[in-house]
Amino acid sequence: MAKRYLSRRTMLRGALGGGVTAAVGLPVLDAMLTSSGALADGLEDGPIAGIFFWANGLPWHGGHGTVQAGPADLWTPAATGAGFAPSDLLGHLGTHPYSIATGLTPMTAVPSDPPGQDDGHMRGFMVALTSDRPRPEGFHHASHTLTALRGSIDQYVAKHDEFYGSAVPRFRSLQIGVSDARFHDYGHWNAISYNGPDSLNIPVSDPAQLYDLLFSIPDDVDSVARRARLLDAVMDDAADLRAKLGAGDQTRLDEHLAHLDEIQRRLELTSTPCTGPAQPAPTADVHAKTAIMADLLAFGLGCGLTRVFSFMVTSPATTHVFSNLGVANDMHTVCHSGAWQSVYDITVYHMQALRIVLDRFATQVDPTGTTLLDRLCMLGTSEYGEGWQHGSAEHPVLLIGKSCGALVPNVHVREPGGNLAKAHVTMLRALGIDTPSYGFNGSETSDHLTGILA
Amino acid sequence: MIRHTRVRGLGALAAALVMGACGDGSSARVDGDGGSAEDAGDGTAVTADDDGGSGTDSGEDFGPFVPGELVLPRLTASQYRHALVDLLGPDLPPTPVEGDTNPYLFYSIGATSTTLSELGTQLYEEAADVVTHAVFDDALRRAALVGCEPVAPADGCIAGFLAQFGRRAFRRPLTEAEHARYLAMAGELAQPDAWEGLRLAVAGMLQSPFFIYRVEIGSPDPADPTRLRYSGYEMASRMSFLLWDTIPDDELLAAAERGDLDSREGLETEARRLLASERASESIRAFFAQYLDLGRLDGLTRDPELFPLFTTTMPDSMRTETELVVDDVVFREQGDVRTIFSTRRTFVNDELATLYGIDAPGAGPITFVPVELPEDGPRAGILTFGAFLTMNARQIQTSPTLRGRYLRERVLCQQVPDPPPDVDAELDPPDGEPKTVREQLEEHRANPACASCHAFIDPPGLLFENFDASGVYRTEDNGFPIDASGDLDGIQLANASGLGDVLADDARIGTCLVQQVFRHAQGRLDTPDELPVILDLDARFAAVGYRFDELLVELVMHDGFRTAVAQEAE
Repeated sequence: MAKRYLSRRTMLRGALGGGVTAAVGLPVLDAMLTSSGALADGLEDGPIAGIFFWANGLPWHGGHGTVQAGPADLWTPAATGAGFAPSDLLGHLGTHPYSIATGLTPMTAVPSDPPGQDDGHMRGFMVALTSDRPRPEGFHHASHTLTALRGSIDQYVAKHDEFYGSAVPRFRSLQIGVSDARFHDYGHWNAISYNGPDSLNIPVSDPAQLYDLLFSIPDDVDSVARRARLLDAVMDDAADLRAKLGAGDQTRLDEHLAHLDEIQRRLELTSTPCTGPAQPAPTADVHAKTAIMADLLAFGLGCGLTRVFSFMVTSPATTHVFSNLGVANDMHTVCHSGAWQSVYDITVYHMQALRIVLDRFATQVDPTGTTLLDRLCMLGTSEYGEGWQHGSAEHPVLLIGKSCGALVPNVHVREPGGNLAKAHVTMLRALGIDTPSYGFNGSETSDHLTGILA
Repeated sequence: MIRHTRVRGLGALAAALVMGACGDGSSARVDGDGGSAEDAGDGTAVTADDDGGSGTDSGEDFGPFVPGELVLPRLTASQYRHALVDLLGPDLPPTPVEGDTNPYLFYSIGATSTTLSELGTQLYEEAADVVTHAVFDDALRRAALVGCEPVAPADGCIAGFLAQFGRRAFRRPLTEAEHARYLAMAGELAQPDAWEGLRLAVAGMLQSPFFIYRVEIGSPDPADPTRLRYSGYEMASRMSFLLWDTIPDDELLAAAERGDLDSREGLETEARRLLASERASESIRAFFAQYLDLGRLDGLTRDPELFPLFTTTMPDSMRTETELVVDDVVFREQGDVRTIFSTRRTFVNDELATLYGIDAPGAGPITFVPVELPEDGPRAGILTFGAFLTMNARQIQTSPTLRGRYLRERVLCQQVPDPPPDVDAELDPPDGEPKTVREQLEEHRANPACASCHAFIDPPGLLFENFDASGVYRTEDNGFPIDASGDLDGIQLANASGLGDVLADDARIGTCLVQQVFRHAQGRLDTPDELPVILDLDARFAAVGYRFDELLVELVMHDGFRTAVAQEAE
């Protein structure tokens, strides 16, 4: 049965006797929040959950399969355990705190009907983001769109009671993109963050739009409160409409309603502005834009505007043309043409983009001397192991930051054939979310990555 | 109303559409699962012609049909923008909204299948606030819009305006509850004055799902309770979004209120009125841009050293050329729309003239002039013009496969399956001795897993080999003379210039266009049970000489567009 939407206000009205339309103060615990919706400064602000995503995996090597054998493995560090020496590709991340797990692979069962469910674009991506397989119909669903069976890990965290509790900041989560190139303009080609099937969180990839979203607060705060109140009428309309729809469209409308409720909550928390940087100028250069978006994000995280984000530097199967690297074709085509050197050059570029984010996070320091990296628990990953054959073995997994002391940096855990879902278990436990097990449809596991979790 | 009688065997047409899908005969979308009309279910026959029944008569009996399920389209970005202007007036500030998607051919299909994101919802909220401020903060603009001066919160002036505004925004009269809801908001939020309350009430309506979505749910059809028939107001909405890409105007809503849109005659009258407007041109142009997939020109680049004529503005020039050719055939000539695939009359600016190597007196960077391409030249029809040739090429080399696939799928509506997942679809890099693309492709086709599909796709695709990846005419590839011969379903051709003549009277193009317009109009794919509708419209299209505007009139009047069945309940 499809879920039936109940807004906070609806519930409140119910508590008041039902059917009463009145402006009632919501139970936002103002005393617990700063003006921007955050707790006090320092580690007690709690860990920050993030995803850093890049397209098309890694330069292939024999670990990905016999067909891919030949080129050297420039990703996997030679040594395991603590204090490993970075590999060629990891060397671009500098000395920032991170650990790495290698050898992991999706463990979800692959039904034979309909065929094609083992394709890396579908399976690798979905397991890396959700620990579950994609909707079995794949691209042949009535919506013509591949989708997830459940929310992605960032949304699992953002909506988990044990993460925010009652102190949900102004943005439950933020989704940020950098490159605007898309393999297609829909579905998982366009976004990596899912609320559930067919419900995507589209990233903001325009610096000016992100700036306005985070830092532009109207002078007349009372008018914002009236805008919030107005949404009650909109939601009442939606409730009327819902009764007239079939099941499929009810689900779509329920998602819309949930978003309205979230935006109403956000408007109610809009008060004193967070001080951000200067209004950014547009740029098409991926590294320059990464720096701008990381800067805006760092200010926002520092203000406590959110504690959950995803940062998609390039979208799944990206068609970005890295002409600045001397690569004439788009990256997806480059992968399929087997141009290893070009894929290597682009992966270096992706790692340099990650470094730009980490450099910026390291400089966002609160009055107690805590940096964003001290609080960060970020999964760095891609859509599969490598893009030439869509190989899902040796899926790239980085766990970045210290998560308020819950993550141990500079550890290399190697588990050939290990369960990729362990990365999510590790992340969830590092964030303080009770996780007896995680993973679905064959990827269930109660194990985290030993050595990375403190 | 235009009527005709024509005899054409359903089986023959269906067979023609099924023809040739990678050798397995399973390709043609138009016949769905390959079933015939006789298998199409128990729906009402499409031979009667009365306003209460099924009511379409092309002079042929294509058997019964069952309409498709209801859908709930969200307004596309252009529909939303047009609606704001229609409701509030011109010169509104820009307001970004969530982008359209086209998971299958048309934005209208994305609009029925995509779920609005949280960011998209917020953008609607912000847009409603911004545009209403732009109007209501200006005393002259708000007075012109509202037509009266409120003296107290929720007074008669406001009540009257909300009823009038809501009727246009929701494309039907407000219910009493809706009117009371927004009137109460206008009163409660009237701080510091009544105007602010009204502004916010209007902003609320602009976020309502009854505005954001096209709520067309019908009611049981008296003539056939197994299906739903759209109301007059719903038909006004369906017609207006199809033909004008926006909400109905007052005249159309008045026609709905009078009951005019419950009859074929009333629908025809209003459809012809809408089609006579310039606004219809914009909508039709937008349809062809999606049908021809011109969005793929966006951001298209070529290496300037390899393709010096392909400037950064060339994709826009190519798009404009295609749009002008379509305009010319559909609106100026009001001719057989299939001639876009054979015409030698095109429109070029200065850089396109250079690319084509032709003289175009008067052409400038943004000035397009009509030119007649030479009868003995290599170009005839839009498939030999820049847009098609570059969209369907690789960055550096041509792709007979992409070009052939476009012809099969877009022009003829034949289905070409994706390559098997374990097959590398790329041509081998040209190492060793230089080879032409044709030679590389022949090696590629030696793979048995590729052969059957490529035998279907490549022969017509090879006809375009005289045009490089930027659309420039050439006679050599990699230093070797080009052999641009090929065939389309057994018709041998020396090159692409002869293809136009073959396509000029190919009935499959008309059928394909009908199918694509139907999908665009419905916001979903056609079902196998709707095959009789497609065939009936196709017959009508042929009878009016393949005039595109007449096809739209026939579609609007057709029961296939006026009825639906309910979605599965929760």
